[in-house]
Amino acid sequence: MSAESLPILSVRDVHRDFGGLRAVDGASFDTRSGRITGLIGPNGAGKSTLIGIIGGQIKPNGGTITFEGEEVTGLAPHTIARRGIIRTFQMSAEFARLTVLENLLVAAPSQRGESLVGAELGRLYWGSNEDALVDEARRVLDRFGMAPKENELAGNLSGGQKRLLEIMRGLMCRPKMLLLDEPFAGVNPTLAQEIETYLISLRDDGLSMIMVEHELAVVERLCDPVVVMAHGKVIAEGSMSDVTTLREVLDAYLVG
Amino acid sequence: MSNAMQFYISTLLIYLFIDIIGVLGLNLQFGVAGIINFAYIAFVGVGAYTAAVLSLGPDHPDNFQHYLFGANLPFPLPILAAGAASGILSLLVGLISLRRLRSDYQAMVMLVLSLIATLVATNATGLVNGPAGLATIPWPLYDQLGLSPVEYQWVYVGWAGLLAVFTFLFVQGITNSPLGRTLRAMRDNDRAAAALGKSITGLRLMIFVVGGVIAGICGAVFVEFIQAWSPGSWLYPETFVFFAAILVGGTANNWGAMVGALLVPVGFLEATRFLPQIFYQGFIEAMQWVCVGLLILLFLWFRPSGLFPERPGRFRPRAGALSRPSDAPRAQGALSK
Repeated sequence: MSAESLPILSVRDVHRDFGGLRAVDGASFDTRSGRITGLIGPNGAGKSTLIGIIGGQIKPNGGTITFEGEEVTGLAPHTIARRGIIRTFQMSAEFARLTVLENLLVAAPSQRGESLVGAELGRLYWGSNEDALVDEARRVLDRFGMAPKENELAGNLSGGQKRLLEIMRGLMCRPKMLLLDEPFAGVNPTLAQEIETYLISLRDDGLSMIMVEHELAVVERLCDPVVVMAHGKVIAEGSMSDVTTLREVLDAYLVG
Repeated sequence: MSNAMQFYISTLLIYLFIDIIGVLGLNLQFGVAGIINFAYIAFVGVGAYTAAVLSLGPDHPDNFQHYLFGANLPFPLPILAAGAASGILSLLVGLISLRRLRSDYQAMVMLVLSLIATLVATNATGLVNGPAGLATIPWPLYDQLGLSPVEYQWVYVGWAGLLAVFTFLFVQGITNSPLGRTLRAMRDNDRAAAALGKSITGLRLMIFVVGGVIAGICGAVFVEFIQAWSPGSWLYPETFVFFAAILVGGTANNWGAMVGALLVPVGFLEATRFLPQIFYQGFIEAMQWVCVGLLILLFLWFRPSGLFPERPGRFRPRAGALSRPSDAPRAQGALSK
């Protein structure tokens, strides 16, 4: 088995109830290192809930999630993020009153000036660390063509740019895995095309991702494997061409 | 300058410096970190009471006032103890209220806490002398310095001013650092900040305690100057004077917060003091509260970022950036447009 196809994240028998509703009902699947795993299914299938459970925002009622061989089930969101799993949100989640550059800088882990003592020691203590991060953030901005926006307040960006900002911000965390919750929702076709290109280049750099997406054409181009969910269960797993021929998948999408 | 005028001016300056300390502490909590602490004045009150009982000397059955924990600590120990007491209380309150509750619920918890604190101080008469409050708190070092009262007031101006400058430098150290940036990010979207690896509870708790310590010191310096303190001086609406100062001056901008302290608690409330008494005794004082409320509403409506809006961080420009106009430092306060 090549290193590229080792499972990096395993979801096993995960449950989550909301009152009487079983939003996730025993979901299990593996994601492979260096791949984009597509998570598809009709509305209400439990995809976003599952993303929330992996990211730590939602506590599961049962089941386990293993990341790089260690269990991360039910850990606090910031602990999971520090393990290397970084998520984006379906709703825009920019830091509105911070500039684009500042949004990226916030994400950098273990900054010298981020503790109380470190902050009070002043720029002499944290300045060089900060300068290095500014350079790193500007390289990310350059890569995503957002350099002209670096001093713009994030709240003033367009919906698509905010999506891009979230991905860039996630990269500043030096993640091992990105969880993308509908990264193309509300993005105009031109920018969507760009985001797609960026995601492919990130994947080719070896970054693992899980992507929730409704646009099946995008999923087909980017994702392998694809995990199909319906009614909180995983009903199919495999390549896009494999899963779309399955009767259960067609039923789920048509009857949903 | 006449003695009376000197008294007046020095008193105003002392009030200004004390208000600046208080407003800077709340601005750190509310403006920078987004913690809506409607109980801020309670932490000021705890600091004031701590400093008072620790300078009054041990309680005695023959005393006209009764309190717990009486001691006669030398200056500046009562003030340091006041900061510590407020900080410890903040930690306890924060551990309970900041861990899980959403920020709007936190705000309500704080408001209730403020009411409870006043009720406890008023009704537990053995604690800090009940509704009568504490009086005859000695001026620190007054006997040792051997100055006339008016000279002493000027010394106090210097001391309060020094503390205000120190507080300003301290909060600026946080606000302008990567820590300040992370706090502002948490304020704008705490879920997203947590998803980037920031411990929201830890950060909130830290700033709640730091702000609490500043509140306690503010109360201590105030009570040691006015020499008396009763539950009536720290009712919950007093917190809104601090909030008004921040909203007028500019949230998350420490210069703005200082201007707010000059304009609202000192300038605005002092100016209305000279209005002639009309209708009935206490009408003007009642109208002051109405005006503080109106001031908050007007600023939230027309200029939500305040007179001095928050400033984004400044960074070393990119190499060759000067030829690119889009990279030039941009105008502030884009949220208000």
